[in-house]
Amino acid sequence: MASRTMTLQRTVPRRSTGPLLLGAGLLGLLVLALLLARQDAPASALPWATGVLLCLLLSALGIRSLAAGESRAARVLPAACTLLAAVLAAEALLRANAVPAGLIPTPSKVLAALWNARVVLLQDTLYTFLLEALLGFVVGTLAGLLLSLLVVRFSFLERGLLPYAALFSSIPIVALAPVVVKAIGLDWPSKLVVVAITVLFPVVVNTVRGLQSALPLHLDLMRTYAATPAQTFREVRVPTALPFVFNALKIGSTLALISAIVAEFFGTDGHGLGFRIQIEVGRFNLDIVWAAIVLASIVGIAFFGVINALERRFVGTGREA
Amino acid sequence: MTTAPAPAATRPARRPSNLVPMLVVAAMVLLLYWPLMLWANVGPAARSLASGADLGCPTALACATQLHNPVLPAPGQFLDGLKTLSLPPTAETSVPYNAVVTGGETLLGLGLACVVGLVLAVLLVLSRSFERATLPWLVASQTVPIVAIAPMLAVLLGQWGVQGFIPKALIAAFIAFFPIAVGVSRGLRSPDALQLDLLRTYNATPVQVFTRLRFPASLPYLFTALKVAATAALVGSIVAEISTISFSGLGKMLAENSRASDTIALWVIMLYGALLGVVLVGLVGLLERLVTPWRAAR
Repeated sequence: MASRTMTLQRTVPRRSTGPLLLGAGLLGLLVLALLLARQDAPASALPWATGVLLCLLLSALGIRSLAAGESRAARVLPAACTLLAAVLAAEALLRANAVPAGLIPTPSKVLAALWNARVVLLQDTLYTFLLEALLGFVVGTLAGLLLSLLVVRFSFLERGLLPYAALFSSIPIVALAPVVVKAIGLDWPSKLVVVAITVLFPVVVNTVRGLQSALPLHLDLMRTYAATPAQTFREVRVPTALPFVFNALKIGSTLALISAIVAEFFGTDGHGLGFRIQIEVGRFNLDIVWAAIVLASIVGIAFFGVINALERRFVGTGREA
Repeated sequence: MTTAPAPAATRPARRPSNLVPMLVVAAMVLLLYWPLMLWANVGPAARSLASGADLGCPTALACATQLHNPVLPAPGQFLDGLKTLSLPPTAETSVPYNAVVTGGETLLGLGLACVVGLVLAVLLVLSRSFERATLPWLVASQTVPIVAIAPMLAVLLGQWGVQGFIPKALIAAFIAFFPIAVGVSRGLRSPDALQLDLLRTYNATPVQVFTRLRFPASLPYLFTALKVAATAALVGSIVAEISTISFSGLGKMLAENSRASDTIALWVIMLYGALLGVVLVGLVGLLERLVTPWRAAR
């Protein structure tokens, strides 16, 4: 009984100290970064690094108590504060150790590059995301859903085709990309095909598993209602399959952007984030490379977030696949 | 009882073998391949004939199987390429040797990813605030094109004298840790309230709850995640080989042959990459059977 009450007490959120600690930690990091910006390179990085780590510890403690509770702020703020603390700490540490910008640019340089090259980078992002990743994702998902419907309908296909789908999903996409690019051409359709193939197999494997995971009890119930196969499909099989499908879509959303970018490494017509990254790595403009990475990450997170929101809308939060 | 004696007849409800349907599907694909190959190659063949090149064959259709850089290689060409690229299997220019190198990097990276993923999963389950503060960025780390980080990582590690195998394994681990962390944390949460209550009635300590209930419950999730992570790690090490300075591995061969437009070699390397992926996933499956034998019946 004693331990029970203790656990209860621990779940009660502690107030007041959290924001204070966090504020102190972040402020300390900011001051350190600004002080380091004044001079070129300190003689010894050790005292600076210790200061940065102490401030990080303070912010971590602050974030910890900030994340307690169920409010909306408790869900959004911690992640944002972590990013802020990490960026500030990276800035201070890179400056304290005098890491050359050709190796790792400081976050402030990346931000500057992001602003200076915004037009080109945004064009590249739109090209890579809309034409290649999103379109390929849609094509791959539709083809996957169609294929899995066929597989569930005809058991011959399930036994003859599904083992291959599992097999193909273990093929590394990067080995596929140069062949497809050579076969179809340098323009965006070749990347679309690579993305579609990458997305296809997780969708097929998961959807088939989902469509087949309806409980026999529910199916029997539908039979006692004299439901037609179409009704059973719509009312029982599709709802059970949805969590599996969304799981596949989430996997696909992260895979799509990466495979589009990787496919661009094997030849493009001069557009796209992958092209930009590769050409700027060659010129040692690593700040632009990091800016491109930041943009790709933002787009990737947004894509994932949209799929997540759709899942919540259609499946509900309570269920887990 | 006049049919042939089947060894599986004693076991009830055994599912029929998938072998025959799989062979039928494979045969159909092979049958369709020939016309598809002709259709894909006739265009380039006609174009190079029209440009006056001497291919040593009269018509575009006849040339389709003999192009130097075919879109789809003819079976004969493919087999020839397979032979020349893999025959002395220990040679440093052969694909099997390079596949073994890549496989080693992938396994090392997978091991690293396992350690990082397990630690992260335990932290994610133990602390809600840790989850809220880091999970969005763990997800974000998956959308980072590792190819861009790979050269920087190689240079950075090179400053401390770390070269060769390790940078590639690190990049493989970077792309593979996420599925493991997410899968295992879901597995650690999978015991239901009933089971947790039972352990509480036993007066089990939190450590005991972890070792006796949560950890065993997470093992199936771990292996499912490992299968995903194995292919991801393979992608990671191949990408790392493409974008860092490397002298062996499938990625290096891909980059070289892509630059030289040797399509037949690309197809052969793709086949080996696929085989390597299948073998890695198979290894994980084998390990799964050894570690969780109670699930092997399925």
